[in-house]
Amino acid sequence: FKDDLSTSPQLFTHMSPYDVDLPIQTTEDVLFGSQLNQPKELPTDFSSVDLSFLPDITQDNKEQNLSEDGNEMQKELDESMSRNEDSSIFMDESGLSYADATQPSPEASGACPPLTPMTPMTPVTPASESSGIVPQLQNIVSTVNLACKLDLKNIALHARNAEYNPKRFAAVIMRIREPRTTALIFSSGKMVCTGAKSEEQSRLAARKYARVVQKLGFPAKFLDFKIQNMVGSCDVRFPIRLEGLVLTHQQFSSYEPELFPGLIYRMVKPRIVLLIFVSGKVVLTGAKERSEIYEAFENIYPILKGFKKAS
Amino acid sequence: LSEVAYSQSTGQKEQLSRCLQRGIRRVQDLCKVLQLPTVFEETAVSYFQRALQHPSFHLVSLEKKELLGGCCVFVTCRQHSWPLTMGTICSLLYAKQELFASVYLSLQKELGLSVPALSLGDLVKTHLNSFRVFQHAADIPAPFVEDKEKMVARTMQIVELASETWLVTGRHPIPIVTAAAFLSWQSLQPAARLTCTLARFCKLAGVDLPPPAHLRLKELLEILLRMASQLTWLRVFNMDKKTVVKHIGDLLQHRIFLLKNAFCLEDGEEQRAVALDKGCPGSPPAAGGAAQEEGCPSEGKRQREGGPRPLLPPCLINPRKRLRTAAPSASDSAITGDEAISDSEIEQYLRSPEEIRAFRKAKAW
Repeated sequence: FKDDLSTSPQLFTHMSPYDVDLPIQTTEDVLFGSQLNQPKELPTDFSSVDLSFLPDITQDNKEQNLSEDGNEMQKELDESMSRNEDSSIFMDESGLSYADATQPSPEASGACPPLTPMTPMTPVTPASESSGIVPQLQNIVSTVNLACKLDLKNIALHARNAEYNPKRFAAVIMRIREPRTTALIFSSGKMVCTGAKSEEQSRLAARKYARVVQKLGFPAKFLDFKIQNMVGSCDVRFPIRLEGLVLTHQQFSSYEPELFPGLIYRMVKPRIVLLIFVSGKVVLTGAKERSEIYEAFENIYPILKGFKKAS
Repeated sequence: LSEVAYSQSTGQKEQLSRCLQRGIRRVQDLCKVLQLPTVFEETAVSYFQRALQHPSFHLVSLEKKELLGGCCVFVTCRQHSWPLTMGTICSLLYAKQELFASVYLSLQKELGLSVPALSLGDLVKTHLNSFRVFQHAADIPAPFVEDKEKMVARTMQIVELASETWLVTGRHPIPIVTAAAFLSWQSLQPAARLTCTLARFCKLAGVDLPPPAHLRLKELLEILLRMASQLTWLRVFNMDKKTVVKHIGDLLQHRIFLLKNAFCLEDGEEQRAVALDKGCPGSPPAAGGAAQEEGCPSEGKRQREGGPRPLLPPCLINPRKRLRTAAPSASDSAITGDEAISDSEIEQYLRSPEEIRAFRKAKAW
């Protein structure tokens, strides 16, 4: 089923876990490159698709969930597509599928309606046999297109909260106090917003930056707002034998104490990178939705528990 | 029809780009310098060729390509349990460790290579090879010369002890080996060597003293002191970090028993809860945590007296003061992202005309 589906290619947006705050210039183009190929086809046959990720459907929210399903489905399929080894297949198919786009997605539309939440806003209540620990979101990275060319020198001159050193970096660095965030504003009109603790805060902050730019006299819009990366952290509250973990989970783990004190665990499903430390603290990154962070942690917790009493 | 050399007619050399040829030569040279077995060279070269063909490495800077060769050699060594450290490779390549690290991690990921962990045992043997205290020399006092086999064996035991007591996980391996080597050397002839410092020892031995080694030494001594407190015939003595060195032999001999008694090796979670407990009422009693009954094992200070302390990584015993990021408050969680944004809030970020004038004057834009 998944092979039949011709969806848009996902240009591999490699956001390494350490780059959450300051992406290099070329990242901007990669991020927005993928935005152009949004049109997706919604499959009509759901029989072979794994729907276990969906929240429970009650009578009340059934209708709401039906509309959310589609978006979730696309995201899930996009995820699995981008994980495929041979991305060249999708490069070829993109030419064919482009014209067939029937499913409009909120991101592709020119207007900016209030963002339909893709996932439930409250954290998923952990089931009784789960860890009982909920990772806390620490950083959200989002992007938005202000859709107009910007004079960075002008902005730096007229804004109090702006920093601009063109020799060092080709963007204005702007900060606001509430929500406490930092924005990178490029002359192309593209903007990156970092530092927020939730998706909503990130969007609010991005809107404020856009307003600042508007007040400075530019016809800034607010297009294609997208959460690009989410970082969470938590504490399992027991020490972990990283040397043991790297032995039993070799294909996913990289533990090089010469380089870094933590173990880097690349989980496949969901596609999240975890940094696991001897103290029991865990950092999770690479998520586009918070459910991925929660799911990744629930997956790793039993594995870590296995190394609890290894002394 | 003239004679054509085989290599010319088959185009062997032509098939390989100059960059690739140069890179392969570099890999081979590296293997020769490190005196690695021939099979290592073949493996490293094949990794290098695979890597260069991979899209992620095809277009990287020459600097990175040079490091790529070193990474391939490094991976090969690790896969054959040849204890080569990144530090060594980096110094051979005159490379910045951060850059090497990033190339190495990419290589591991893109080629899906499984790289076994560095064997500490092998590292001890290799690292001690470079110590100069095994042979008499003009600048080394006679009582400082030591038998290599004995020292290697004891250093291994101390490193194993460090590993069991959480001093190794997450830490750079070389400083631990250096500290362990120093302790083992001192303990083999304490009378003559107790006055020698770690720094002097390293200088005499002709090895670098990595900065973390002092801290590793301190941690090792703390572990040994705790173990000593459990040896009945040693309890009479007032042990300190100097005197305990004399008894390292005994301590190592009985280390399993001593570790069990000196530390509560039970449930890690309870131990942590107690160790971090600030004396709030109703805290769970730790199994055998007699020393914690005061409720506050003062952070950063060691409990000399009393019973066992929990066996935990040092970062949990002495947690550094850190900014506690406040959990999201109720008002934070209520944010929808669609709130109205007041003009006044935005205007606070804009410069007034006077400011702009002053700024312009100052900066001469």
